[in-house]
Amino acid sequence: MTAILETKGLGKSFGRFAANADIDFSVAQGELRAVIGPNGAGKTTFFNMLSGTTDVTSGAIFFKGCDITRLSGTRRVHLGIAKAFQTANIYPEQTVLQNCRLAALAHTQGAFALEVFRRSDRLTDVDALAERAIEQLELSGVAGVRSGDLAHGDKKRLDIAIALATKPEILLLDEPVAGMSRDEARKTEALIRKLASSMTVLIIEHDMDLIMGISDSITVLESGSVLANGTPAEIRANGRVQDAYLGGHSEAEIES
Amino acid sequence: MNVSQRGAGVRFALFTLAGLALFPFIFHAIDGYAGLATQIVIVSIASIGFNFLLGYTGLLSYGHAMFYGGGGYVAALLLIRLMPQHPNLWLAVIGATLAATILALLVGALAVRLYGIYFALLTLAFAQMIYFVVEQAQDWTNGDDGLQSIPAALLPIGPYSIDLGTALPPLALGPFGNLSDIKLWYIVSALALCGVMIGMRALTRSQFGEVLTAIRENEERSSLIGFNAAAYRLAAFAISGALTGFAGALRALYDGSVAVESVGIERSGSLVIYTIVGGVQTLLGPVLGTGLIMYLEAVLSAHISYWRLVEGVIFVAVIIFLPAGIVGTIAKRFSGRAKDRALLAKSVSTGSSK
Repeated sequence: MTAILETKGLGKSFGRFAANADIDFSVAQGELRAVIGPNGAGKTTFFNMLSGTTDVTSGAIFFKGCDITRLSGTRRVHLGIAKAFQTANIYPEQTVLQNCRLAALAHTQGAFALEVFRRSDRLTDVDALAERAIEQLELSGVAGVRSGDLAHGDKKRLDIAIALATKPEILLLDEPVAGMSRDEARKTEALIRKLASSMTVLIIEHDMDLIMGISDSITVLESGSVLANGTPAEIRANGRVQDAYLGGHSEAEIES
Repeated sequence: MNVSQRGAGVRFALFTLAGLALFPFIFHAIDGYAGLATQIVIVSIASIGFNFLLGYTGLLSYGHAMFYGGGGYVAALLLIRLMPQHPNLWLAVIGATLAATILALLVGALAVRLYGIYFALLTLAFAQMIYFVVEQAQDWTNGDDGLQSIPAALLPIGPYSIDLGTALPPLALGPFGNLSDIKLWYIVSALALCGVMIGMRALTRSQFGEVLTAIRENEERSSLIGFNAAAYRLAAFAISGALTGFAGALRALYDGSVAVESVGIERSGSLVIYTIVGGVQTLLGPVLGTGLIMYLEAVLSAHISYWRLVEGVIFVAVIIFLPAGIVGTIAKRFSGRAKDRALLAKSVSTGSSK
């Protein structure tokens, strides 16, 4: 399998504090990879460097073999890297459909288009892309609702739908089920599993049930560096991982 | 665009035209004069340009006088230096608008990456630099004295060259004055304003306006779905500067002179005030705000010497009591009612479908 996304010696420092250091990471096309680690392990910083919202201090990022280290987040979206945020990042004043239409519009028109007289409401490809994303996240029932009025779980799923409407090849999900009820989390888990059949998915999550259940493989970060890589079974059996979690966090998370 | 949308557009155009046709006569009845009506119509175009930037990108420019006065000087200089024998209004206005657009692209390239007070200060600094240049380049601009006696531009249409100073035929209209008070200048300016308003209405409903609105609402998300936010803001800044420069050019040619104050900080500030008093993000607000303040200034300053104080009080009162501006407040009240009705209709229909 070829790597779709790869990092070499990737590091990020804030002043003297190294949030990420020397991360060598590779995810294969079609893989569902989880990135886990205790709080403060640098997972979100790592994701932000991948999505282009945080500058890289050292090392390089490759997408399908091309160096994208210096490309803006906007450029990376058009290459096919999309992200859903830890805190649902949506357009609260717009409807669910319009949220996804904007993402689909960005995908079809490009980063900038001086369309000053044409309205977008006749662009059927935009509508189709948006509606498909909404269906995939099972939000059709609330498509016309102002998104700021959605329940927490729906907002989180809308954020994923927005990312999906950009037609990504790789989807970065930052804690997609955080704050959801158990039922909502299981439902979202099933949706993510379905998405993963057609694209590469990278996921940060604290919910160990979900991680162990759906990941093809897991990367464990600790103190900004890679502690271990392996299948869920390997990670579960890894003594160093257990120590890291027991040292930094509750036992229940890894045991469950 | 469906039929009902087009119908709304046509209605809007007709209402705007009708309002502008009646304006100078009603204005006469309340002590206004036709010359002031023309100036209001022209300056309104600049306010619309300013409002587009503030309302659709959230960027408050405190330097729009550089486009307004800049447009005026460029139009005047084009006529004085390049075509004193055959003053062509088209060429002067188009040249000035192009110059303002280029200036906006240059300033904007640096400014649109900044926000809030930093953006305001940078635009102010650029405007002050332009002011300095205009004041110092005496050979070209006459410095503090400004450019007087700009040749009366002729508007070539087909084989005709129209002098916009021509008055309409006399016809007494009682309290509404006389038809001959109106010069062709007013008609041309009113048509220009009407065109700008129709264009602005289309622009804010266009795909471009839709993306600008999205960027204003959530820039982080917009960048990470693939919109180049800086490019959109730069384009909006250029459109805004172009409209303001266009208005400045018309004003200079109408007045027949251009003063150094037209690039000054007070001019920048007045566009802020007109727009906010009328209502940011509304189509009519900047026009109404411009008309109201310019009218009060002309009428009141003739009677009371502390007009500036009155203007300040109006501005403060609007900010405190009508933060959405006059038109914005009225529109909100109406749309609030419309929303209530829509909600009611929705709850009724979903109730019956279950």
